[in-house]
Amino acid sequence: MSVEVGHYALALALALAVIQVVLPFWGARARDAALMSIGPAAAVAVFVCVLIAFAALVKAHVTSDFSVVNVVENSHSLKPLLYKVTGVWGNHEGSMLLWILVLALFGALVAVSRRSVPEPLRTDTLAVQGVVTIAFLAFVLATSDPFARVFPAPAEGQDLNPILQDIGLAIHPPLLYVGYVGYSIVFAFAAAALIEGRIDAVWARAVRPWSLVAWIFLTLGIAMGSYWAYYELGWGGFWFWDPVENASLMPWLAGTALMHSMLVMEKRDALKVWTLLLAILTFSLSLLGTFLVRSGVLTSVHTFATDPGRGFFILCILVAFIGGGFALFAWRAPVLKQGGLFAPVSREGALVLNNLLLASACATVLIGTIYPLALEALTGDKISVGAPFFELTFLPLALALLLLVPFGQALAWKRGNLLGAAQRVVAALAIAVVGGAVTVAVTRGGPVLAVFGVGLGLFLVAAGVNEVVARSWSRGMPLSNALRRAFGLPRSAWGSAVAHAGVGVVVLGLAAQAWSVETLVTLKPGEAAQAGPFTVVLEGAFPRTGPNFNEEAARFRLIEGGAAVASVEASKRFYAARATTTTEAGIRTLGLSQVYVSLGDSRDGALGVRIYWKPFVLLIWLGAVVMALGGALSLSDRRLRLGVPVPSRRAQASLPTATPAAAE
Amino acid sequence: MTIWLAFAVMTGIAVLAVLWPLSRRLPTRAGAVDQTAFYAAQLAEIDRDLGRGLLEPGEADAARAEAARRLIRASAGAAPATGGDSEPALRRRRAASAVALSTIPLVAIAVYGAVGSPGLPAQPLAAREAPRAGGMGMAEAVARVEAHLARDPADGRGWDVLAPVYLKSGRAGDAVRAYENAIRLLGETPDRLAAYGEALVAAANGVVEKAARRVFERGLAGDPKSAKAQFYLALAAEQDGRPDEAATRLSALIASAPPGAPWRSTVEAKLAALSAPAASAAIANLPASEQKAAIAGMVEGLAQRLAQDGNDAQGWLRLVRSYVVLGDQAKAVVAVQAGKRALAARPADVAGLEGLARELGLVEPAAKP
Amino acid sequence: MTRKQRRLALIGSALGVLAVAVGLVLFAMRDTIVFFYGPTEIAQKGIGPGARVRIGGLVKPGSMVREAGQTVQFAITDTATDVAVTYTGLLPDLFREGQGVIAEGTLQPDGSFRAASVLAKHDERYMPREVAAALKKQGVWQGEQPAAASDAKAVTQ
Repeated sequence: MSVEVGHYALALALALAVIQVVLPFWGARARDAALMSIGPAAAVAVFVCVLIAFAALVKAHVTSDFSVVNVVENSHSLKPLLYKVTGVWGNHEGSMLLWILVLALFGALVAVSRRSVPEPLRTDTLAVQGVVTIAFLAFVLATSDPFARVFPAPAEGQDLNPILQDIGLAIHPPLLYVGYVGYSIVFAFAAAALIEGRIDAVWARAVRPWSLVAWIFLTLGIAMGSYWAYYELGWGGFWFWDPVENASLMPWLAGTALMHSMLVMEKRDALKVWTLLLAILTFSLSLLGTFLVRSGVLTSVHTFATDPGRGFFILCILVAFIGGGFALFAWRAPVLKQGGLFAPVSREGALVLNNLLLASACATVLIGTIYPLALEALTGDKISVGAPFFELTFLPLALALLLLVPFGQALAWKRGNLLGAAQRVVAALAIAVVGGAVTVAVTRGGPVLAVFGVGLGLFLVAAGVNEVVARSWSRGMPLSNALRRAFGLPRSAWGSAVAHAGVGVVVLGLAAQAWSVETLVTLKPGEAAQAGPFTVVLEGAFPRTGPNFNEEAARFRLIEGGAAVASVEASKRFYAARATTTTEAGIRTLGLSQVYVSLGDSRDGALGVRIYWKPFVLLIWLGAVVMALGGALSLSDRRLRLGVPVPSRRAQASLPTATPAAAE
Repeated sequence: MTIWLAFAVMTGIAVLAVLWPLSRRLPTRAGAVDQTAFYAAQLAEIDRDLGRGLLEPGEADAARAEAARRLIRASAGAAPATGGDSEPALRRRRAASAVALSTIPLVAIAVYGAVGSPGLPAQPLAAREAPRAGGMGMAEAVARVEAHLARDPADGRGWDVLAPVYLKSGRAGDAVRAYENAIRLLGETPDRLAAYGEALVAAANGVVEKAARRVFERGLAGDPKSAKAQFYLALAAEQDGRPDEAATRLSALIASAPPGAPWRSTVEAKLAALSAPAASAAIANLPASEQKAAIAGMVEGLAQRLAQDGNDAQGWLRLVRSYVVLGDQAKAVVAVQAGKRALAARPADVAGLEGLARELGLVEPAAKP
Repeated sequence: MTRKQRRLALIGSALGVLAVAVGLVLFAMRDTIVFFYGPTEIAQKGIGPGARVRIGGLVKPGSMVREAGQTVQFAITDTATDVAVTYTGLLPDLFREGQGVIAEGTLQPDGSFRAASVLAKHDERYMPREVAAALKKQGVWQGEQPAAASDAKAVTQ
């Protein structure tokens, strides 16, 4: 019975979502408090229904109920329990249901967070959110029903694609979805502000936590996906400018811009229209990401579904929401009260530049992703736009942006002083130059760009530290005082310092890859190859049987300076159920660096082996975690939610250097 | 029926959850629906946080000043809200209730009606297996044993159970592997060796190859009275062109047969077929190419005879075997089908023919499991 | 600064950044874009040696020859025309004769193709989009199969 209860709950959720849209919206127009209060109740009810549906699907997967098509196609009674559960969203139907679950969860959270959002704004936001929910529920029920049944039930399921049977892949789609869907709330808030015809700092403060949550999860999701591709696909790369990766990068770039422009709005009541536009854009790019991945217009690892019917439906959703969003914007934006203008040299001026660069960078990624599709549709010419394109377009813009970050951080609100800002970052700049020089000396050369990257990374990290030090310590102050003041700094200040330092860490990790080594050899047992500082010796190859696969494993010994330091094992697996071979890369972490071994074919007793030495490669993902941590710190700042201007005037007065201050 | 009851309860709860806010008496102040309430609440929260020491007094003052400023601005621009118990408000609520009461069940039932299958109970694997454990189908039993062996491939008993089932269902190759595993894990016994040999013969389409012969010899060494081993060794001798040795073995087998042995008639028939046409001995002396042609000619003759008078069950069996020995699977399958048609009146003989077909691993295209 | 000047500064910097971005995109479009062809198109369009292109098709059965080291030779075919390909490196997991494949690299003066990377993306029911389109043109591939529950991509570079 539970399966059909879940199925019915999904239908009921659709009905409730209709109510969530219609009645409260009517109430908001009529200013009827009673009708408006239906919105939160309906939003919570929708969430409960979708939760029941999701639980029912999980139960069907866990109990191997092969009367459900989704379970037959994506599960197997012998699969480990963990992968039975993660298999729920390892496929198209289940992942769309997860999408809706997160959507409904956010709706319910907005509904119950009574005190942070003014009432009419909340009503309209929930109504817009309800429209999104309706669209996706209709999509799932009409074209991707996870509860479709089959009778009589087959005796056994068809297993999960072994390449997807992995904990990294199990975690990263939910992270990405929380990010994507988080921006749907931001979109709903933006649409509500346009409908209300009013937007101010209160709006920015209400939206801030949602935009931060979405950003944090998107950051982690992208990093997780990148690490998954790195160790699971077995070819040593971590970013391929694959359309699916771009699909998650674009909303991240737009969302990062949004986060910063909202700051200007919150502090200076400016950039209102631009912020709304960015909010709509970010969600549009999230939808585009879903469309690109789900419709099968791209061929990529993540495209589980290739079905034109679904693609068309998603395209309709895409056109409706993006078109609708921009139409609403064009119609209502002129009604909004314009914010003030400001001096070009100021924190807000720097943030505008940040937004311009981020938006342009996002646009280049969009062009590189969409252009091949458009060209093929128009002329039939098939092209591929790969890493070289993005390295020429995205990279310069990103580098320019990152180079300016420390200066922007150092500028004061309202009226900045370029020279003063330069003086504040001079220490960080010195560290960067010294670091770059040391790099050149130690590595005896190296690509210019990589040396520059090392310097840039150090610059960003040092500037992050400097940011905290400058605001809590002045010359001659005892350390204890400085520490107390440092801990007294608003968490949002810590958050931004940490997040920017995290970007620096990522840049360091990326730059270090210029010194990575790749060796391609055929080895017989006992033979060795050189990879970076290590001699890699093949100890032997042996067959092995796993729970649902057979594998050919090979063991390697890593020798540095004559002494064995570690061993690493790589294998090639064959999954009989799917007649699929996968490469299991052998990865050995040594400090922050890794040795990465993947196997090719063996012939005449010799094994084709690809060995990588990847110095400081972990910094790339660690940096992303640090960035997310910064976001979390900022999220936990209570004062911003209450609208406390920080730091208070008294504190500001006691600081010799001009500090960024909230103004009004 | 319970399922519809559950749906009704769910729908009822959903409708109630939505209608519940309508039934509450809400504050009728104008501010309730505008931002003023929000700022008022914010002021209260600032005081609370100050009391709990989450804010510095200075910060609280600044925040309070700002919130108060916004409050004043908001209340200046606030539109008077309708609501409360005024006539239009009541009418609106009634309309809203009607909409919720009708829309929710209608939409939910319509959507579910289009996609749902209310008649189908959930069928978790465990529940499907439990009640049928007594009279479980063969295929399912095999699947379960296979699943068990996939988890624990070192369970020899499992292979031992599975092997004869494979052999009976025509999966000779699987049977060979299963017997090999069983022998490896549980050790050799004459019976297991004989059965293993039989599987090898079936896998080789009825030809007793060298490997199979060695297995039978080992089996016979372990148990000189093993009828199966003796019989197949006789068959091997016959196929190798030593009919005398075959006849000797078969005679010995009949001599040592316990009274009432079910296989006795088969062996006697075989012996009779062996000694009857002396031609077979003559053929054995021919060169290989002619030998084959001669045999083919004989088989052709048999086929023609059976086509005219199909009432000879033994003849059909021999024909099928002959085709298999000649390596003509397709003709063997056709012969099985023709024989079954000709012998339709005698179910016992049809079954015998089918048994042979299974034994030889002949699978009719349509009958493939 | 006056209000007008501030507005001008804002618009000016926006246009500046935009111009840089557009310039970069246009510049990159000229050099970095790789065209995709089927073997027949290569022959028909007379693509000269040295150009970086992608070739997609099926690995011709029986054409695969392993040479010394990690070098492999095989032919990519759309059943009408073949292109001989040389590649040094590990082949993707799913590389098999008779299966869809994409090779990126440059044409040599002798008409053969030196691949820098080979991609195979398929299971038995799935084909790279470009390969399917190219083969459809040749009338080899009949229609798309319904949703493949799995595709895997493997790349070597």
